[in-house]
Amino acid sequence: MPNKVCVLGAGSTRYGKLNENVVELALDASKEAITSAGITPKEIQSGYISNVFGVSDKQVHMAPVIMSNLGIPYTPGLTIESACGSGSVMLREAFANVAAGFYDCVLAVGVEKITQVGTVQSTTLFSYCSDFFYEGGNGASFPGLFASIARAYLTRYKATEEDLAYVAVKNHENGILNPKAHVRKKITIEDVMQSPVVASPLKLYDCCPFSDGASALILCSEEFAKKKGKSYVEIIGSGRGASPAAVQSREDITIIPSTVNAARQAYEMAKITPKDVDFAEVHDCFTIAEVIDCEDLGFFKKGEAAEAIRSGATRRIGEIPINPSGGLKSKGHPIGATGIGQVVEVFEQFTGKAGDRTIQDAQIALTHNFGATGASAAVHIFKKVN
Amino acid sequence: MSESRDPNQITNRRSKFIEAASRGKILANKCAKCNHSTLETVYFCEKCSSDVFTIEEYAGLGNVVTFTIQSVAPEGFTDAGLYAWVVFKVDDAPFNVSGFLKDTHTPSELPIGSKVRVTGFDEKHGLLLERV
Repeated sequence: MPNKVCVLGAGSTRYGKLNENVVELALDASKEAITSAGITPKEIQSGYISNVFGVSDKQVHMAPVIMSNLGIPYTPGLTIESACGSGSVMLREAFANVAAGFYDCVLAVGVEKITQVGTVQSTTLFSYCSDFFYEGGNGASFPGLFASIARAYLTRYKATEEDLAYVAVKNHENGILNPKAHVRKKITIEDVMQSPVVASPLKLYDCCPFSDGASALILCSEEFAKKKGKSYVEIIGSGRGASPAAVQSREDITIIPSTVNAARQAYEMAKITPKDVDFAEVHDCFTIAEVIDCEDLGFFKKGEAAEAIRSGATRRIGEIPINPSGGLKSKGHPIGATGIGQVVEVFEQFTGKAGDRTIQDAQIALTHNFGATGASAAVHIFKKVN
Repeated sequence: MSESRDPNQITNRRSKFIEAASRGKILANKCAKCNHSTLETVYFCEKCSSDVFTIEEYAGLGNVVTFTIQSVAPEGFTDAGLYAWVVFKVDDAPFNVSGFLKDTHTPSELPIGSKVRVTGFDEKHGLLLERV
């Protein structure tokens, strides 16, 4: 049985089109997390950094640069890449090392800086996260890959493009309440339906934005957390999964196996079922992704999530609130940071810092984040510590 | 059509896949141990981990499983006009492949289940398809 692992501090930059470079963003978020935890940098025993496109902002081998600028140049760190799932995959590694007792206190910071290269180049760089020989190399962008998944889902389950629009409207409704969200704008079903087609059947408002940003956490042992006397959150479940890299190789295109397997592991470790989860931050890079996530995570039966979302079940006052932060769709998607930013939302929810986004009486939360079209994924479950 | 092969002689699987696609065919591996068939580019059998395969060549025909029409194209495809990226089930094979189908403007032009055929492979657009 692993040692208990806690989130003692959390910090995040605003998400959006930002002026700071990739290192500055990571440092800003890290400093906020260190302050939030009430520790000094010298208490950090290792750093975990998640990032995908550092090369586009002229910085790879990022961990030593970040640790040096935090004033702890002799503290080891490493950088982890798993496309859009980099943050949660990195979190899993940080979690495992604290749980195993190698470290008592670590920094986990995710960062991305991409908007400076423009939309066409960003679209191209993202396509390198696909199984490029079969996907990007044949003309599929990421919106295109998820559009093909959407068409398969809508065809099989008789769901509609308007059903997908409800995801976007709900997440923007939440994101308006998040001061760090990228797109703080109320939208309507009509806005989504009338937005330009990017890759049919997905339209502009079915897609998350390209974002810059960073999010950071301080993870520690329970003993370390108790000594600090600050509010903290316990990680009670962690799971990882994988899927065939190419969409064409999935037995069922409407299921993401990595999510299913990661969730099963996390639920087993936490000794809970999906019904025990009070809210979740899930990977809604495109509206169809949130629909499928909700089924793969066990919140709704296969083929029933679209109707449930349309009925309001995933709104903040619904039976299972999804993405109270605004999700990738509204809060934004700085891909190296996203999985960590989800946990920042959980930390803020459980430590009284979520303001009007607060999910009342929540005790258990789940985060879900995947890379590419779900080729890699991680799921984590958190408990509020009173 | 199939033939036995010494795995040590294979130096570039993707090149072989591309060469077959250029002739309108899909190249696959059939596991010599468990008969599981996968695309040529796989190095070990997913079912039994054997690396001994027999080459299989399928007629590049299949039925559309799903697709999208790319209105916003990535670099290298911005001069292609409206096109579809298509996942299709290869006839007589237990797997899907995906490719590029030019001149596709509306979803009604490509119903799920409709027939497509491999016409070639080029460096710019990958596996080329046409409607049958």
